[in-house]
Amino acid sequence: MSAPPPRTVAQAIEDAAASSSTGYRFLEESPDVAPFHSYADVERMSARFGGAMQAMGLRKGDRIALILPDNADFVFAFLGAVRAGIIPVPIYPPTGLGKLAGYLENTLHIVAKSGARVLLTSSEIKKLLGTIQAQAPGLDKVVAVEGVRTSSDKLRPEKIDLDDVCFLQFTSGSTARPKGVTLTHRNLAANVHAIMPVGLSIRDGVDHGVSWLPLYHDMGLIGFVIAPVYHRNPITFLPPLLFLKRPARWLESISKYKGSISFGPNFAYALAVKRIKESEMEGLDLSSWRIAGCGAEPIRAENLRAFAEKFSRIGFDERAFVCCYGMAESTLAVSFSKIWTGVRTDVVDGETLWSKGRAEPAAESSPRASGIVECGAAFEGHEIKTFAPDDEESARPLPEREVGELRIRGPSVMQGYWNDPEVTKRSFAGGFLRTGDLGYIADGKVYICGRSKEVVIVNGRNYYPQDIEWEASQVEGVRKGNVIAFGTMKGPSDRERVVIAFETGEKDEAAKKRLEADVRKAVQQSVGLTVDDVVPLAPGVLPKTSSGKLQRAKTRELYESGELLGRTSAREVDKLDLVKEIAKSQIGYFRHRLFGKSDD
Amino acid sequence: MTWNREQVQKKLLEVFSQHKQIEVDVSEASEIVAELGIDSLGVMEVLAELEDTFKLTIPDDALRNINTIGDVATAILTRLESDGRLQG
Repeated sequence: MSAPPPRTVAQAIEDAAASSSTGYRFLEESPDVAPFHSYADVERMSARFGGAMQAMGLRKGDRIALILPDNADFVFAFLGAVRAGIIPVPIYPPTGLGKLAGYLENTLHIVAKSGARVLLTSSEIKKLLGTIQAQAPGLDKVVAVEGVRTSSDKLRPEKIDLDDVCFLQFTSGSTARPKGVTLTHRNLAANVHAIMPVGLSIRDGVDHGVSWLPLYHDMGLIGFVIAPVYHRNPITFLPPLLFLKRPARWLESISKYKGSISFGPNFAYALAVKRIKESEMEGLDLSSWRIAGCGAEPIRAENLRAFAEKFSRIGFDERAFVCCYGMAESTLAVSFSKIWTGVRTDVVDGETLWSKGRAEPAAESSPRASGIVECGAAFEGHEIKTFAPDDEESARPLPEREVGELRIRGPSVMQGYWNDPEVTKRSFAGGFLRTGDLGYIADGKVYICGRSKEVVIVNGRNYYPQDIEWEASQVEGVRKGNVIAFGTMKGPSDRERVVIAFETGEKDEAAKKRLEADVRKAVQQSVGLTVDDVVPLAPGVLPKTSSGKLQRAKTRELYESGELLGRTSAREVDKLDLVKEIAKSQIGYFRHRLFGKSDD
Repeated sequence: MTWNREQVQKKLLEVFSQHKQIEVDVSEASEIVAELGIDSLGVMEVLAELEDTFKLTIPDDALRNINTIGDVATAILTRLESDGRLQG
C-alpha cells in the first residue's frame, strides 16, 4: 500500500477533530462511570492542556515530565504538549507496596537525564515526590494537574515539523542509566502507517480498540492513543490496575463495546486464563474481536492456545492472534504476523538451535522438537536482518535459518537516545539498529529465540540484572561485586524465573539461610520483583572472564544444568591474583555505582 | 454483612497465608512484597479476593499507602467503617 504524505501527530489531532462520533472512552472502576470524549473534544481538551503548559513558561523543545495515573489526564496532557511542540516525557506512577525509595531514585534519574523543566502530576503523587525538585537542578516546578484541567489559557499555535522531536520514551537501561528513546513525528507517522493500514488492515473510524495497557509504555501510548488519532478509531481505555485486579473487565469491555482490536503481552493472556471464572464469562461475546495482538515479552504459544481453548466458548476465534515483534527504539512495531492466521510456529531441532545456532526444521513428533513463534516479515520500507554479534559494520548478513543478532533499519527507527551520543553510537552498527535480540529469518519471517541483552522480563516489565545485583550487594555479608542475577525459563512456572547467585565468606548454614532471606527481601523491597531462587556460593565460585568480569550467561547455564551448586572454585588462582581480582571487581562495582557506568 | 476488627484481621492473615510465595510466618507486620514475596500481580489478585469477601472497593490510590498486611487492614477497616459495617 503506498503511503499517504506523512503528517505530524499535531496535524493528526487537528484533522481528527472533524469526528464527533468517534473518540476515547475512559472506563473507571465503577461500571457506571465511562466518560466519552469525541475527537472534537480531544482537540479542545488537548489545546487547554497545551495552553496551560505554555502559560507555565514552557517553549517549543522544552521537556515536560508526566506522572499521571489517570488515563484521561495523561492523554490530554500528552497530546497538549505535543501540539505546543513541548516534548512530553512519560514516567510511570508509583504503585506503592513499599518501593518508594527505588521509585524516587529512578524518577530522579529520568527527570535529570531528560532535562525536564516541569513535572506534571496529581496532587496526591506530588506529596510523595517530596524533595525531587531540590535534587533535579533543571526542574523549575512540580505542578498538580487538578488546576490544569480547568485552565483557560489558550494554545498559541506552534509550527511543528515532521523532524521535530515528538516525545521521549524512557523504557530501557538500568535505573542508574536510563535511556530516552527519541522519536520524531516522522518516526511516528511511519510506524503508525505500518501498524494500522499495512500491518493490521485497520478500517478507519470503524475498528474499535479496547486497551488496559499502561499509557507510559509504547504499546499503550502509540498503539492506542497516537495511532487511533491518525485513523479516528474509537478506543475504550481501562485503568491498568483494574485489569490486574479484575482481568474479566478486559473481556467484558470488549464484549460490551464490540471491540475488534486489543493487545497485551503474553502474561495478560495467561492471567485471563488463570483468573477469569466461568461465572464471569456468562453472557460475554468476543466474536467482534478480530485482532488479538501479543507482544512486548517472549510469546509462549501454549499460553495463547490455552486462552483460545478457554474463551472459544464465548466467541473468541484463535485466528485473531497476531504475534508481534517490537521495541521502543523502533517506535513500537517491527513486524506482525499476518492477520487472521493465528499463532504459527516453526518446528525446529532444539538441540541444533541452541548448540550450533541453526534452526533446522524437525518433525513435530521428534523429542528434540522446539516450536518457535513466527512474528511476521519486515514492514514495507523497513529491513530486518541477522548478523554475527561481532559484525560491527553489519557487513555480512547471515543466511536464512542462522541465529544471529536481529538488526533493523527504516523510517520507524529512532535517531538515537536523548542526550547520550555514546550509547547511541554503540546501539547502531553500519546503519542498522542493534536490537540485542537473538533470532533468525526463515522465508522472510522473523523468529525470536532470545535476548543477547540480559534483561529479565516478568509480567511485561523489563528488569535489569545490574539493578537487582546492586540491591543484593547492599546486603551485609554479600561479597560486593560478586552477585549475578539472571532470568531462566527453566522450571515450573509460566513466567521467567528470577535467580540471584552471590558469593559470601559465611560458612555457617543457619547464617547462610538468613543471608538468603535478607537478599531476597532487599531485592523484592526495592525492585518489586519476586525472587524465585537465591543461591549463596563460596568465594570464587561465580564464573568470571580472564579480565575478572562476571559471566552472567555462563552462570545461567551452570545453574540450569545443576552444576552451579557443585562448584567449589571456578578460578584456580594464586593469592596475588585473587587479591587483584577482588580489587578489580570492587573498582568495577564502585564505578558502576558512582558514575553510572554500565558493567555489561 | 458487618465485621469486627478481629474477624478482619483473621481473614487477612488467612488469605495472605494462602498467597505467600515464601515459607515465613504471616503477621500484621509482614511486608507483602518484601517478606511474603507476593509481586504486584499477586497483590492485585489478593485485593480482588478481599474486595469480594468484604463487599467493598479498594481504589488504586489506596495502594500507594500499602506496604504491610496491617496497611491493608487499615484500608479495609476505614471503608467498612464509612459504610457503617464495622462493629465495635
